Amino acid sequence: MSRVYERLSTAILEGDAEKAPKLVEKGLAEGLVPKDILDNGLVPGMNEVGVRFRAGDMFVPEVLMSADAMQASLVVLRPQLVASGAKLIGKIVVGTVKGDLHDIGKNLVGMMCEGAGFEVIDLGFNVDPEKFVTAIKQHQPDIIGMSALLTTTMRAMAQTIKALEEAGVRDQVKIMVGGAPVDAPFAERIGADGYGSNGPAGADLAKKFVGAA
Amino acid sequence: MVGHEEPRDGGEQISQGSGMPVVVLSCQVLQDLLARLLPDGVTREVQFLDYGLHRVPAKMTLTLQEKLDGIEEPSLVVLGYGLCGNGLRGLRAGVHTLLVPRVDDCISLLLGSRSAYLREFEAVPGTYYLSKGWLESGSHPLKEYHEYVPKYGEKEAIWIMDQQYQHYERLVMVAHTEEDLEIYRPQALEVAGFCERWGMRYEERLGSDAYVRNLVELVERAAREGTAALNGTSKDFLVIPPGGEIQQEAFMR
Repeated sequence: MSRVYERLSTAILEGDAEKAPKLVEKGLAEGLVPKDILDNGLVPGMNEVGVRFRAGDMFVPEVLMSADAMQASLVVLRPQLVASGAKLIGKIVVGTVKGDLHDIGKNLVGMMCEGAGFEVIDLGFNVDPEKFVTAIKQHQPDIIGMSALLTTTMRAMAQTIKALEEAGVRDQVKIMVGGAPVDAPFAERIGADGYGSNGPAGADLAKKFVGAA
Repeated sequence: MVGHEEPRDGGEQISQGSGMPVVVLSCQVLQDLLARLLPDGVTREVQFLDYGLHRVPAKMTLTLQEKLDGIEEPSLVVLGYGLCGNGLRGLRAGVHTLLVPRVDDCISLLLGSRSAYLREFEAVPGTYYLSKGWLESGSHPLKEYHEYVPKYGEKEAIWIMDQQYQHYERLVMVAHTEEDLEIYRPQALEVAGFCERWGMRYEERLGSDAYVRNLVELVERAAREGTAALNGTSKDFLVIPPGGEIQQEAFMR
């Protein structure tokens, strides 16, 4: 395997937004397949970021810098992914639930999903349950992704799922949830289809939902 | 870490008789309120733990578990915490009985009730709260910024701050007396000045010590009558019996 992959993972982990896109260019110049650069270089780097953040070995500033490096890399890589014939694998609507205005995690999931080949519709933060309902009707997504940072606001995930049920659109989508206070048992309890512990895990789950993993 | 142990033989030993020893493990942010309201002689030991535990909830659980396991005699352990980002989830009572305010975080405790907190939350969800305890031993955006600058440089530090706080709308200083408001206003205003970069407005609230007062009353009752006196007393508190474990669901209401 090319050494570029490893160096790229390290650049992502270290949040080096200058080096990472240059390494992507280097990989492309060496003739590496765009999707392999994503799967073997960028994604493993972000996976490690997720693991270290959960364990308390990395904090929000470092995660933000890693996300920035990832974003800068995707700017270079995305046109190549499209040019190499990578098709959209599905459509996902993401949003931070009502009452919560923290969007770092939600943005990360959106970015990772976009990298993985999803069309991502971002509803932003403090999103009313009704807005999720409308988005399903309007965009016909495969997946809804909800995020919350606080135990105070994670309850709004359950309320949103209820609103989707009442509107009769619950069964049209898979629902995934994530955020600092959320875990798999909570996801199950509120009737979500799955839980992602970090950005890359969210994208992995989304891929499974559309049969692309 | 700040801690002090009250002399075992000092003061009135209310814990004798049918009650049991009372140990308080609390976040420093509540030190002022608790230290003022807890009467002498009720507690065997009071420890105030560093706010920094909040940065990693999983580590907070471990630290508190170690503290709990370190208490030898079966006791009523009062936790001066809320669910705190799941920092209390999974705590095992062991031989002790745990008494915990049934709140997500300390804002309800500072404002005096859960309903007071919900009113503020519904009015402006994007609110950052300050208090005497938070200013002295907790964290706030300006303090964070000052920590980030030497680590990441000014430009990067500001970018990080913007990512985290750009959607907040309001900074609320909660104090329990007019005097405290006067004393801490300059510090709060300094934070408010910094937060203006995100368009956050500054407000002040006179909180209430009612919630913590209720907690102290329960503790006194348990010290007098034993922990059975705690059962079914209030929906504002959780009582975890020996052998039990703190569950996230128990805080949901």
